[in-house]
Amino acid sequence: MSVDNDTNRAEDTLKRALRRQQAPDGFADRVLARAARQNSAESRRGHRDSWWGVFAQPVVRWATVAALAAALVTGGLHYRQVQYDKAERERAQGEAAKQRLVLALRIASSKLQLARSKVNGINAERTANHEEKE
Amino acid sequence: MAEPLPVEKAPEIAEGDFAEIVRRHQAMVYSIALHFLADRSAAEELAQDVFLQLNANLASLKSDDHVKFWLRKVTGHRCIDHKRRRGLPQVALDDVPECAAPANEGDPLLSRRLHQFVASLPEKPRLIVILRYQEDLAAEEISNVLAMPVATVKSHLQRSLAMLREKMARALGEVTL
Repeated sequence: MSVDNDTNRAEDTLKRALRRQQAPDGFADRVLARAARQNSAESRRGHRDSWWGVFAQPVVRWATVAALAAALVTGGLHYRQVQYDKAERERAQGEAAKQRLVLALRIASSKLQLARSKVNGINAERTANHEEKE
Repeated sequence: MAEPLPVEKAPEIAEGDFAEIVRRHQAMVYSIALHFLADRSAAEELAQDVFLQLNANLASLKSDDHVKFWLRKVTGHRCIDHKRRRGLPQVALDDVPECAAPANEGDPLLSRRLHQFVASLPEKPRLIVILRYQEDLAAEEISNVLAMPVATVKSHLQRSLAMLREKMARALGEVTL
């Protein structure tokens, strides 16, 4: 009986000591302010998620992957073609420049040949005149 | 985070009454945290976090009783997590601040010492004692909230009560629980 009384008294004392306390002033307002910010962030995230949600469908996801792959392949081929055309153009320009240079050299060579034959003719004439005088 | 409702029937939650739920249950959540942590600012922060988690999960809760059950469960788990995360050592008796004793308590000294002794209990027994004596829950209800066997709850309660009585008797001499 005494043990029961002691236990009851102990439990009553604990209940009194551990009874609920009032939350600090403004606690609810602070929680509601944070919840409003949380809801706003959730809403923004939800909006973003709904846009990204389109990609949740497997068909759309695979179509996007296929389109990206096609774009990459097409872009690569186009780039290769452009590079090839550029190299071809440069090679043609180089060839034309080479042809012009060869032509110019030929003309110069023929002119020099002409001048040389004239000089040789003048020299031969002078030598003949000199021998006649002697 | 939707647990099975441990009550038979209860009124449904009306839309948009989160504010009302906070006002109705703030003392319960704050007090559990305060009695467990013995730190007013940490208790308020933890209680706010619990309500924010509730706000995110409100749609999955069916009634006010379910909300109350959920709040007790989440607050208890967060208290234990908080203590483990901070790596706080076991509280020394004289280090427990005199924070939780209400002014109109019968014996302020007794109340203060009791808070110190409760705060010195290991985590789970401390939470069980708080749920038993603050919330007046039966061992079966505590076992639901903490997801542990009823026998374990009863054993923790008995040992904690015996320990508290012994400590009080030793500390206060003539004052007996």
